[in-house]
Amino acid sequence: MALVLGSFEQAVLVAIMRLQDDAYGRAIFKGVEERLQRDVAPGAVHATLDRLEQKGLLSSKLGSGTPVRAGRARRYYRVKPAGVRALNEARAAVDNIWRGLKWPLVKARSMA
Amino acid sequence: MTIDRPTTLPPAWAESLLRLLLRPEDRDSISGDLLEEYRESIVPVLGATANRWYVRQVASYVLRATWAWGVIVAAICVWRYLLDTLVPIHYTPGVIALRSAVMSWALIATFSGCAGWHAWRTRHLRAGVLLTLIAATIGGYLGMAGRLVCLAISHGPETMAAIEGSGGLFEGFPGAPVQLVIAAFITCIPGAIAGRIAGTAYDWSSANTKSA
Repeated sequence: MALVLGSFEQAVLVAIMRLQDDAYGRAIFKGVEERLQRDVAPGAVHATLDRLEQKGLLSSKLGSGTPVRAGRARRYYRVKPAGVRALNEARAAVDNIWRGLKWPLVKARSMA
Repeated sequence: MTIDRPTTLPPAWAESLLRLLLRPEDRDSISGDLLEEYRESIVPVLGATANRWYVRQVASYVLRATWAWGVIVAAICVWRYLLDTLVPIHYTPGVIALRSAVMSWALIATFSGCAGWHAWRTRHLRAGVLLTLIAATIGGYLGMAGRLVCLAISHGPETMAAIEGSGGLFEGFPGAPVQLVIAAFITCIPGAIAGRIAGTAYDWSSANTKSA
């Protein structure tokens, strides 16, 4: 059965795909904030990254630190083929739901 | 007042708490992400109140690690309240009723499980104990809220008599959270020690497997 991705999980995966080789924790939550146009708690993004990695949709490796992080290592993420498949399926499911409707929707006709 | 961004530090206690509750493999990366965000984005915008943002973020990590355990504790407390008010029994002094024993062992298992899980995950004994105390506090207050809702729904003379017969109103309101934290402190330590030992054994066996 295909994995069902929530909208937040999709936003995280899409942010990683967009960032490519620069996809580390802070860059990802900045990317998610930009996409969702709202403040996002870093804890929510870290928890989602952990969950997606456990599902086998992401892989990660430690990189080097920078002075602004007090030298602490960055963890870089990459979307695995299973993650790309899950994103494609999520997008196809949304497209399927919207098929036959013109967007944006106009006011529905009265039932009376 | 000027703020030197690259060297501005968040509250030391909050950063220590964050690092304590993270897995060893995430300790640098997650605390580094928060420190980078704090210095690059938060301090320039919020200035002196940036520390509040940092403390709020750490609190969200603590809550994520403990809320599920707190809900289990609350569920056990509400289950006992419902049993005592819907199916009251006569408690004999000096005799432990089956429901009291079940509740006690369920709480001991929950506290030990919480402490063991977090001590294993973080490889810190202190994290296991501290997070269990927080879970007990959350569970105590959630359970009290749950019992208050039940009491608001049903508060007839029979219910009040059943509450009196099972220890009185004070045992549940507001005494329970304090009792739970004390009980959690006593019962979580063996679980935390077991979790810590299991973590060390796992690391040792993983290192041996890699070197073999």
